[in-house]
Parts: sequence; C-alpha cells; structure tokens
Amino acid sequence: MPPQDLPKRSITVTVVAADGLIKRDVFRLPDPFAVITVDAAQTHTTSVIKKTLNPYWNEDFEIEVMSSSVIAVQIFDQRKFKKKDQGFLGVVNIPVSKYLDLTREGNEMLTVELKKSNDNLVVHGKLIIHLSTKVKPRTNNADAPVSNEAGTSANGLQAPMSSMNLHDSSTALSAAGPSSLALSRTPSAQGRVDAPHAAESTHMSMPTPQIHRSPSATAASEGTGEGSLASSRPVSGSAQNSPSTATGNGASLAAGAQPNRNMGTNEDQHGPLPSGWERRSDPLGRTYYVDHNTRTTTWHRPNANQAVNASNQQGETNAARDQHNRRLLADDMVEAATPNRSATASVAPPPPAHSGPASPSTTIVPGSGSSQTTSGTGPLPAGWEERYTPEGRPYYVDHNTRTTTWVDPRYQRIVRVVGPNGTSTSAQPQSVSQLGPLPSGWEMRLTSTARIYFVDHNTKTTTWDDPRLPSSLDQNVPQYKRDFRRKLIYFRSQPAMRSQPGNCQIKIRRNHIFEDSYAEIMRQTASDLKKRLMIKFDGEDGLDYGGVSREFFFLLSHEMFNPFYCLFEYSAHDNYTLQINPASGVNPEHLNYFKFIGRCMGLAIFHRRFLDAYFIVSFYKMILKKKVTLADLESVDAELFRGMSWMLENDITDVIDETFTTNEDRFGEMVTIELKPGGADVPVTEENKKEYVELIVEYRISKRVHEQFDAFMSGFNELIPQELINVFDERELELLIGGMSEIDVDDWIKYTDYRGYEMNDEVVQWFWKCIRSWPAERKSRLLQFTTGTSRIPVNGFKDLQGSDGPRRFTIEKSGDPSQLPKSHTCFNRLDLPPYKDYASLEQKLTLAVEETVGFGQE
Amino acid sequence: MALKRINKELADLGRDPPSSCSAGPEDETDMFSWQATIMGPGDSPYAGGVFFLRINFPTDYPFKPPKVSFITKIYHPNINNNGSICLDILKEQWSPALTVSKVLLSICSMLTDPNPDDPLVPEIAQLYKTDRQLYEKNAKEWTRKYAT
Repeated sequence: MPPQDLPKRSITVTVVAADGLIKRDVFRLPDPFAVITVDAAQTHTTSVIKKTLNPYWNEDFEIEVMSSSVIAVQIFDQRKFKKKDQGFLGVVNIPVSKYLDLTREGNEMLTVELKKSNDNLVVHGKLIIHLSTKVKPRTNNADAPVSNEAGTSANGLQAPMSSMNLHDSSTALSAAGPSSLALSRTPSAQGRVDAPHAAESTHMSMPTPQIHRSPSATAASEGTGEGSLASSRPVSGSAQNSPSTATGNGASLAAGAQPNRNMGTNEDQHGPLPSGWERRSDPLGRTYYVDHNTRTTTWHRPNANQAVNASNQQGETNAARDQHNRRLLADDMVEAATPNRSATASVAPPPPAHSGPASPSTTIVPGSGSSQTTSGTGPLPAGWEERYTPEGRPYYVDHNTRTTTWVDPRYQRIVRVVGPNGTSTSAQPQSVSQLGPLPSGWEMRLTSTARIYFVDHNTKTTTWDDPRLPSSLDQNVPQYKRDFRRKLIYFRSQPAMRSQPGNCQIKIRRNHIFEDSYAEIMRQTASDLKKRLMIKFDGEDGLDYGGVSREFFFLLSHEMFNPFYCLFEYSAHDNYTLQINPASGVNPEHLNYFKFIGRCMGLAIFHRRFLDAYFIVSFYKMILKKKVTLADLESVDAELFRGMSWMLENDITDVIDETFTTNEDRFGEMVTIELKPGGADVPVTEENKKEYVELIVEYRISKRVHEQFDAFMSGFNELIPQELINVFDERELELLIGGMSEIDVDDWIKYTDYRGYEMNDEVVQWFWKCIRSWPAERKSRLLQFTTGTSRIPVNGFKDLQGSDGPRRFTIEKSGDPSQLPKSHTCFNRLDLPPYKDYASLEQKLTLAVEETVGFGQE
Repeated sequence: MALKRINKELADLGRDPPSSCSAGPEDETDMFSWQATIMGPGDSPYAGGVFFLRINFPTDYPFKPPKVSFITKIYHPNINNNGSICLDILKEQWSPALTVSKVLLSICSMLTDPNPDDPLVPEIAQLYKTDRQLYEKNAKEWTRKYAT
C-alpha cells in the first residue's frame, strides 16, 4: 500500500466513448454503461446508452487521486447486470502516474484496449477516456447527456443499477448513524443471483431491536411477545402475518412508552390475542383492541378461534380494500367535480405543446424565479401570502385587504428605494428570470426586426405586451381563490412529471411484497421509475392496466407503514394517522427504508396512484418545507400541547423550573437533549418562554426524526421535484397522496353528535344542506379542518377516533355569528356559531375551510 | 428538567406534609416512580382504610400530568378495578401549577364526594345514586377487606 502521506488532488476523468464492444447475443445489442472506480473506493457510474456497440457518454467525473492511484473503468450491459457475469463487457486499468504528473497541470486523451477479467470471457473494443488536472465547478454537470430532463439533473450522478446506489448511500448514511454496519453488501455480491439476494433482504427487513435495548426490557418483552404469537398465529394467507418475531418485538416496543402493565399488549386475561392485534386502554381505563392488519379499532375482543379470525381479518382487509378502491385519484375527482368548466379548460393535463418548451423562456425553471424572491428578500409583510398560478408564476395575496397582485410587496419596497421616479418604472428593473415562465398557452416570438412579441394560443391573438408584466388593471391575477384543480393541471403538465418512454417492470411476490418491492424499487434509477409502470405479481397473470398497480400500492402501504416494522407509528391523535417512529433506529437499516418509502410515495404520485396511508398534518407540512407550529403539536402529543399552551398563557415564574433542554426516554434510558447549544445552562423564564415553546415544538415534531425524514425526502425528491410539490398546501397534499372519495353524507349525519344544538335546529339543517352542495374536495377539506385528516374509518363515521378514544363528529354551538367556525381536531369537534341565515353560514364555513390552513384552529 | 421539579416537590412534601396523605419515591434510584398513601377520610365509608397509590411521572413533567392509580382495591364510582382514576385534573384539566400534594388532596375529597355523573364504574355510580346505603355498605366492606 502507498504511504498515507502522498499528496492527493482532484482530477477530472471524462469517459468519452467505447468503440467496437463485443456482441454477445445474436439478436440484440447491449445497453452499455461504465463504472469508474478509483483505488477500489470511489465509485461513479455513467448513464446507460441503449442498444449500441459504440456507446458515447462524454461524462465528467471528479475524482481524488494520488500518484499511485489506479483508475478502473468497467463496462457492463445494463440489461444483463443481474446475470452471473453481470453483462461484463471489458475493463481498463489506468495508473494515473503513467499519464499525469500530479504536481503539474496537464491532460491526456487515451484510447485503451478493453481487457478481460478473471473469468476469461472474451471481450474486445476500445475505450476512449480523457484525464485532466482541471476540475470544473460542480454545476457543469448539466453537460451530461442524461440531465437534459429536470428530474435527474437534481441528482447529478445516478447509478444505473441501484446496487451501486444502495451501496453508496449506505456508506454515506453510516456516517450519520453508527449502527448501519449490517449494510456491508458489496455491489458485486448483490447483483449476481436473485435468490440469495432475496434472502438477504428478508434478513434486512427484520428489525433487530435486541441490540439496542436494555437487557431487562428485552427479556420481558421477548417472553410475552414471542411466546404468545407462536401459539396464536392465524393461518390466514394474508401477507401481514408473516413476521412473527418481529411482530412481538415491535408491538411491545411500541407499548414501551406506556406505563408497564402486568400483561403484554398482545394478550389479556383470556389469553393471547391473534397476531397483528394489540390490546390498549383508553384514558378512562377501558380496554379496546387495535388491529394493525387493517388499522382498525374495536371494543370487541378479537375471536381466538383461528378460522373465524382469519376470515374476519380477511373480511376487514377486504373492507379496507373496498374503501381504498372507492377512493379516486384526486385528479379525476377534481375533474369530475367541476362540471361547469368549458370543455377546453377541462381537458386533463395536456402537455402544452406550443407553450413553454419551444419558447425562449424554457431556460427558466418553474419556481426558480419565486425562490429567488423568497430567499433574497426575507419574509412577506404580515397578512401577505405567496401563491402560485398553475403556471408556477408567483402572485401575492393580501389577506388584509383580500386582494391579489403580481407584484411582490417586498420587491416593491426595494424598487421604491432604488427608483424614485414613480410607479411607471417599477416594472422595468425586473429581468426575465424574475418574471418566471409565461402563462400556459403563451409563447414568446421575435419579429424579423428582432422585436419581441407574444402569442396567446388560447385566444389566437398576439400582443406586444408581456403577459407577465403587471398591467395597470392587473386583470390577469388569479382571483382570491384556492384552486386545487388548476394546481393539479399545472403539476401534471410539468416536464419533470412526464413519463419516460419505455416500461418500468416491477415483479413481486404477493407474500413478500415489502422485501421484493424494496429490492425492485431501489434497484432502478429514478428515471427508470418514471417509465410506464408494469407491476406483476409472481404467479398471477393479469396485465397492469392500472388495477394491478392499484392493488400493489394498497398492499404495499399496509406493509411499509405497518407499525410492526417500527418505521412509522400511529399518532397519539387517533389510531390511524401515521407519523415517523422516532425509535425506528432499532432497525439499523431504517434510513434505507425511509428512502425507499420516499421513493414509493413519489412513485405513486408520479404514476397517479395513491397510497392507503394518512399522516399527521405536520408530516405534510414538513414535506412542503413549511414551519411547524404549536398547533401541529396537538396531534403528535396532546398532553404536551396543553402544557405548552398553558405555559404561554400563564405566568410561569416559580412554577416552571426548566432549562433549554428536554428529556427523552429511550428504551428505559433517560436522555437529556439540549434544545440549543448550551441550553442546559439557560433557565426558562417568563421572558424567553416563547422561544422555549418553539424549540420544544420543533424538536418534538421535526428535529427528533430529521434523519429519517431527510432519508425519506431524498427518495421522494428523486421523483417529485420540491418546487413542484410546493404548489400544494398540506390538505391538498393529503388528497394527492391518499386519493379522494365521495363522502357518504348520510352516514356522516347519522353519526354526528350535537352540543348546544338539536338535530332539527335550523342552523344544523343549513349546515348539512351546505355540505351536501359542496364538491368532494371541499367536503374532504371540512373533514380535515375538523378531524385533522380526510380519512374516514373503514366502518364509517361511527368509528371515528379522537385523542381520548372514540369520538364522533361533533357540532357545538359556540362563538359569535360574526366569527368563523373553529375546530378542535383532537375531539373531532366543530364550533359552529348560530348564524342568522343560510348565506352567512355558507360564506363563513367556506372561508374557514378554504383559507385557514395552519391557523384559526385550536 | 423534570427531575429538578420532582425533587423540589419531594422536599416540599417533607417540609409541609398534607394531612392524611404521604408520598415519596419507591426506590431512591428512580425518582420518576413514587408510592403514596391516603388515609380514608373520616366522613366517608373509607374511614379507617389505608390506600396505596402508584405515581409515575412522565419525562415531560410538569407539562404533562403524573399518572396516578390505586394499588389497593377500592369500591368507588370513579375508580375501576385496575385502580385507574377518573379525575379531570389528571387529564385535560391538568396544569403545571398543580403538584402531587394537590392531586392527592383532590383524590381525598373525591373519596368523600364521588362524582356519579362522570363514572368509571357505571354500576357503582348507579347504586350511589339510587341506594346510598347499599353503596356505603359495600364500600365499607371493601375497605375492611382490602385496606386494613
């Protein structure tokens, strides 16, 4: 080995092309890609060039070398990467010192004969490669041929085979978490054969909590968990039943947060519960049962009889599936719900052939203009909000005056300082990039004299005036109205959301859907995943014209989000909205799984499928990069929320004796975390308590799970660019991910309680009349406003849960008719003031539901 | 942090002990689990009984209420078979300004004046409302049987 003190430096290696590769098959050409390895450590991969013996990549990689380094470039056929020889097409080894003097500047173009490897397969052809001591700034990656499409350019280097990918990411991740030792899978061992691979991933998917837990806890939970499950596993063939030991551990881990009881949570005085069931107590000490298989709760003890149980369970899974199938893609729902749109407008997201791409404004990435303004000029004035047109153009809502404008209020101020000449010049300093893309259907053209004019293909008219510049009338500004439909159309029409040519085949076994999906989805590159999705269940015929992938995402969401795997857990708010399990680290692989789940969610959105999963509101806000607030804490930890609210409302002097720290129980060990550097020495006082509450909220909701969340987002953003998802608000995002269903208003009415009102009161009658008149999306929004989620329990409104057990939808007579309705999501309660007439009820209710996101609730 | 406040409460209890109850850690190494005793109030059917309770402090104490339950079996409309107590200040009416000492005093007064309108054991509440004598007889019997 070379001495450690040899000087290292960065150089650029350009894999230009290969020439005359061997043709191993009679009827087909290889899809070659190159893997660059430096001293068996740094690995880079080129893109895949389809069907050629003379691939041309011309891709640059920055690598770090010393004079003793050897650069190995291997060529593989991507279509055969899983075969025994991995589609090997040849290798070259380049000793750096032979071509470059690292103490000087220089470059060298090499043409090297490809060599065979140890297994003596015949190879031929040449590789053309360029070495240079010049290192380009990072941004030049855009030259690479793959990145002419917005989605992949974000990731820069994408390994075509995700074995590489996995390997890379795992090493990167292990820096963050010391526990990911188990991930020492080498790329070669992985791609080779399928069977051991699957075995390996099965092993991986088993959480290994024993490692991290204190001895006492392990002994206790293992005894009850395993023992009881072994004897009680129903024989049903449903996929959920498979991981029996993991199950026991997971369930008892989840229960660890609760006070110790004499019995495990998966048994009771009548003996063990069936697999997948957990016994819980509501705050009143009443026992109820959680069925993790179907994510339902019931007061009735599940039948121990295996056959009955299995069929029950099957029945409930089917009920859940029925409910899932009744849900529709938000796109379709919104389309259907707007009958009075003109035909041209409701043509679904057609790629606007003549608008953006051809015009000179293509260089402007949607949203880039807005991000400049946001980052550059700080927060908006109070009461202002930045929104986007379906075209991605930012506009500004002044909630104070309830008006809208194109002009950024912050920008305006700057302009006024700069140019005192008056308003006429205010538009001038805006460069094209600040204006953002043209509205859809518009195109920018040049006359023969190079004067710019604009074509509006919608009305077939032309004008000299730039439609993006504020006119004196400001008439193009979107009206004061949230429009999910338009957002969806914009979202779907973006280049990054268009399918790639070709198919993305995903083959899984129904009983191993989690492991198989993990292997299949992590194996592919993000751009492969954007091809037409073809899901195939092993041993089942059935071509995927939508139904199969719908079933796939349904089953997969039940697995991925199953609390048994300790990746997600049910929130304290009810028994069905999900949140990241802060203790997910019991599975040393957890970060890879979060990345996988992020990819799956992106995949579902991209391919217009939906997941059977609902999350706490703050999770959606985090995806949208919105700041979480104290109100969001309520669904995560209602008791703490009350304590924090109390703290803000009362004088804490002599009552609260805290420092800027928080305690956390990690499997029996009490850990103190500083909320800010040196926080242990900063006492909380009446003066700084607001900051303390903010930090507690931030820690509890996001910081505590940031590792997991970042991993999740890294997978999600591979398919869905951040600036595109940002057009939605958190409620719309829930509908985008989970789909929408036509809500059964009769069932809703039947299981609604009233406080201060009677069922027959005029206001109540108006209320339901108003709800019935609403489109599905707004009904969902009312449900989100009142209960925190648009999800309805499988058995309908009668099973609605609150933070303290079953809680029906409740309408309470409260507030002044001049006020908006308020909600208490913890108790599924709507405070409805006794409005004087139908019109004002409708107006106030609509306003509350449409405009109060993240505030106005209690 | 919670520990500081718990220690302070322990010191206050030692300095100024409330009448008819006491409380302290079960084991000096774990300040988060305490045991408490309540003497049955003289003007109630629980008179003469000594009732043991378990107190568990959450890590977020005092922002969250302590978890308090009876170890000793007791016949009461608001206390069930598991020892769970239905008391608003232990749930949504908790305030960080409350202390263990105040909670124990509230429980004492609940023994004297049950709240049959928000029962945890509906049968006992029913009896309390309709046949006070039988309720008192049962309560005394349980007290004699389990708490003396």
